[in-house]
Amino acid sequence: MSILLEFFQAFQYPFMQRAFVSAFVIGVVCSIIGVFVLLRGLIFLGQAIAHSAFAGAALAILLGIDPILTIIGFSVVSAVGIGYVNQKKLMNSEVIIGIVFAFFMALAILFIGLHGEYSSDINSILFGNILLVDLADMLLLIVFSFVILLIVFAIKKELYFMTFNSQQAQVSGVPVKFLSYLFLIAVSLTISVSLKAIGAILVFAMIVTPAAAAYQWTFKINTMIILSAIFGVFSAVFGLFFSYILDLPSGSTIVILITLIFVISFLASPKRRSAKKDLLECPFCKDYLPGPCDECDGDCDLGIPHTHEDDRIIISTKHLPDKEPTTHNHMEEETKQ
Amino acid sequence: MTSKEISKMNNSSVDSSNKPQKPIICIHDVVVAYQSNVAIFDINLDIYRNEFVGICGPNGSGKSTLLKSIIGAVDPLKGTVKILGEDILKKGNLHGLRKKFGYLPQMSEIDRNFPALVKDVVGMGLYSTVGLFRTLNKNDSERIDRALEIVELDQFKDRPIGHLSGGQQQKVMIARGIVNDPEILFLDEPTSALDFKVARNIMSLIRKIHEETELTIILVSHDIDFIRNNCSRAVCMNRRIVWEGNPKDKEFDEVINRVFLK
Repeated sequence: MSILLEFFQAFQYPFMQRAFVSAFVIGVVCSIIGVFVLLRGLIFLGQAIAHSAFAGAALAILLGIDPILTIIGFSVVSAVGIGYVNQKKLMNSEVIIGIVFAFFMALAILFIGLHGEYSSDINSILFGNILLVDLADMLLLIVFSFVILLIVFAIKKELYFMTFNSQQAQVSGVPVKFLSYLFLIAVSLTISVSLKAIGAILVFAMIVTPAAAAYQWTFKINTMIILSAIFGVFSAVFGLFFSYILDLPSGSTIVILITLIFVISFLASPKRRSAKKDLLECPFCKDYLPGPCDECDGDCDLGIPHTHEDDRIIISTKHLPDKEPTTHNHMEEETKQ
Repeated sequence: MTSKEISKMNNSSVDSSNKPQKPIICIHDVVVAYQSNVAIFDINLDIYRNEFVGICGPNGSGKSTLLKSIIGAVDPLKGTVKILGEDILKKGNLHGLRKKFGYLPQMSEIDRNFPALVKDVVGMGLYSTVGLFRTLNKNDSERIDRALEIVELDQFKDRPIGHLSGGQQQKVMIARGIVNDPEILFLDEPTSALDFKVARNIMSLIRKIHEETELTIILVSHDIDFIRNNCSRAVCMNRRIVWEGNPKDKEFDEVINRVFLK
């Protein structure tokens, strides 16, 4: 109780108020944009952006200027560059991401080397400290987050369509190229403004992990967005709480908390349980059962009770024979997922 | 035979007052190349309202490329493509035209756990008619229900798309292709990954849609029997159009033998 009291008493200090607001905002913006990052398979691209942002910060420290401009500049350039190569299909996306990732890390190390000393600023950018967020950082975070969320919600359904099938979206009139770049810039800005609080190494966990946890619970995109935001805010705020009362690094505490939420979500996932209950897998080879059956009314060659659902055969595990059959055939691959 | 000769023969190119119709798709001298490799060349083709055109040819003959060049998914190196009288290569035209056609690409794998219900996927076909920030309304939901009824999957609308079989998923894609009441439906090998029975089921559905609506359908398929029995015109490709005409003609079989077996 005294710990809780101590935590709430700390809110009389402006640094704690700023930390709380920043945690809340980062929890919302990172987790919502993370839903589309995850679904679009841009996880490693995001990691590359985060490290290029770190290179930008290192350059700013070397030059003795405000890091936000170089952070944004480096992260946007790397995101748009990778996006361009991917869009033109000039090479495998993993190749270009790997090259960009390594290049910007090399730049960061070079700038740190040229600076001559490993300053606390570099440490702060690399690992983050939400308690050190100043008023200007917080206002910047709020303004950018508002703009980023505005962009994401403006193009939400188009992003969703592109995520489902980019080619179909393009043919249906969605400006896929433009929106892809816009989305990459939004991801870059999200990473840039969250960097000081969470750190370059951990910021991407705040983008991917809440979305990955939400993914375990639902088949509805809106529910996934809401759950992701709840997980993101919960982990950010309670991560702040635990880091304060236990005197732990804030960024890592937040990320450990969201990872715990992910593990619980994964283990309790109704999707995984429904997949088990779905009864569509062949129990003997774990492949999918063949279909369709010729409207057999229950007496086809399967020799096991089953029902028909359009062109599919559904067999309940409770009707499985005890012994494995010597042979079983699969027709075409049609019912394989 | 040429498109003009066919248009003279084809009943579908003459309206009730016996006035010759204007083609709704005009492809003139189109060449498409991927980097320095020419995929299709010398493509001239007119397609008329309510036609059911089957495009066939061996693998790599340029069937899908032709389809993609019509819908603006690839830019021709030269030539013109006009849909409903508008040049799709002119800036701004294509966006409006895309609302008037539906497109079903070749089957691709859908993640079993992808967060999308069947009704969400069909609803994507209406996104081009809805502005920024706006979501689908009740009227749109009714259109989604109607499209799912046509493909006989209305009872599946609240299922996750990844939980359906390949055949069911393809029917959902057809529903999405027709949900915006298009004037033209493009189908790119809709049964390529399906077994015989499910493929037959999908093709019957496509035929039913053509019979019951005013839809013009352009189908790319390897199913020569289906094209012969159901399409009003066949176009046989081998990097260029080697033959077009009535698929019930003997000549069609000869061309197929020549193109596929040479």
